[in-house]
Amino acid sequence: MIDPALYDLARDRIAANGFTPEIQTKITLLLCTAKNGNLMFHSSVQWMQNLNVVQQFILSQYSRELEAVTLLSRTTQWSKDPALALEGSRIVAPLMMAWGQIMLPPGPMLNPQATYRGISLGHAQLARIRLTPVIPDNADPLNPFVVALQRIEQENGRMLQTQIRLLKNIGTEIPIEEREALVEQDQELVDSVFSQFLSWLAAG
Amino acid sequence: MPIVQYGHHQVHYELTGDPGQPVITFLNGLTQNANLWKSYAEYFVPRGYRVLAYDMLGQGRSSKPVIDIKLAMHADMLDSLLEQLGIEKTHLASISFGGIIALDFAIRYGHRLHSLTAMSTFAELTPQLDLLGAVMLQGLADAGLPYLQSMLYPMNMSSAWIAANRERIPAMKRAGYIGNDGYAMQNLMESFVEFQPLTPELHKIKVPTLIMNGEFDFFTPRECHEVIRSKVKNSRLLIMQHAYHAFTLEMPAVTMRQLEVFLDQVTAGTWQGDQSVWIASDDPTAETQWLPCAGDWMRAVHIGTATPASTPARRKSPTRKKTT
Repeated sequence: MIDPALYDLARDRIAANGFTPEIQTKITLLLCTAKNGNLMFHSSVQWMQNLNVVQQFILSQYSRELEAVTLLSRTTQWSKDPALALEGSRIVAPLMMAWGQIMLPPGPMLNPQATYRGISLGHAQLARIRLTPVIPDNADPLNPFVVALQRIEQENGRMLQTQIRLLKNIGTEIPIEEREALVEQDQELVDSVFSQFLSWLAAG
Repeated sequence: MPIVQYGHHQVHYELTGDPGQPVITFLNGLTQNANLWKSYAEYFVPRGYRVLAYDMLGQGRSSKPVIDIKLAMHADMLDSLLEQLGIEKTHLASISFGGIIALDFAIRYGHRLHSLTAMSTFAELTPQLDLLGAVMLQGLADAGLPYLQSMLYPMNMSSAWIAANRERIPAMKRAGYIGNDGYAMQNLMESFVEFQPLTPELHKIKVPTLIMNGEFDFFTPRECHEVIRSKVKNSRLLIMQHAYHAFTLEMPAVTMRQLEVFLDQVTAGTWQGDQSVWIASDDPTAETQWLPCAGDWMRAVHIGTATPASTPARRKSPTRKKTT
């Protein structure tokens, strides 16, 4: 669970200083790391055997994550401060490690546990990393970065539909209680990273 | 907020008041959380009750399952929560989505109840509710949680409340967006796919039951509450004047007063569950709180007997010359 006060602190900070290059860089570092992990996973599982109609959904998720990363990267006013990249990497490290574990050989294409974990972690990211609540009321609604954040979040909601269907309906031998526990564990992981991130955002 | 475990799920709850006092347990609506009953706790605790509120699975700070949650699981979980808190019996007050859970609980765990209050709820999906539910789910899936939130304000609240709170609504929506998760809400709504009407089982509810329905509730209209009233023998239907669906939020003072009157009657042994229909006073300080309902409570208009005196005046017709 993410403390709602963290959103307020981050939003107050942005309201005071605006979407500075530092703020934009922090947000983009987090979102791109999360989305690149999910992208890598979907790229790996799209040629799994017997996916049938699901293959189209997997390819679609892959493409939409790619679009989001591209949109965000080109609308961001990047900061030149390398310390931001270092601190950002430290905060998102648990996500990178989790995706790394999922992608370990033989890889999710041949490892059903890793496949399910990848869907679960992708779901947790899309569900829990929500940035529209940090957009201040006084933000320019036509600011390209604000527009990009809102579009990405709306698209995340649609992508979540695919993740939900996959989590609920994909054929797996993992017992349902174990699956729910896995999903909850990934949510906790994402919540922990995102809470730290919001504190970092609020710190200026 | 304290936690109990239910299987591998966590359930967050708030229990206020002195041990040994009778407990009132409140059940949330779909997009609500335990914090929304805080003012009810502040009202009832000084009046000698303990108040228990909790986030149901999928809500607030409790676990939010993604894959599977059966509707029946909520009542089972409430039983487990009461067990873990050492509460043998409780008064149960519930609204909307929570009302269904409360009805299910009263049917299967009636021995744990002193009384039941079912507000703005239903025991079966009428064709209208069925389609409304499908539209809400579609909106959530296609357009997202902010759309559903925007849709629910005008469905739940009166124009007067919206006009008075228009400035606050964006911040309230943002807080709701942060506290809720679209997928968890979707999972709760999808649990209705296997929902079986509770109507055939309602006769099993034996505890004193107060059914409360807003006068202008078009989300769960009178017909939904009439089903419950007609099947639960030990019940009364209380119509809340000028109220819409979410009257626990819109008019808490009136709602708390009605609950208090009901609980007092149950405690004093003066409660008469005779399936009668009453109108709640809209003044919580009034001496008489429940007024008898005259006429057909299923209708929104009351048709008078046509008499010459009551015939609406007609406009004067142009004077016509007599023809010979």
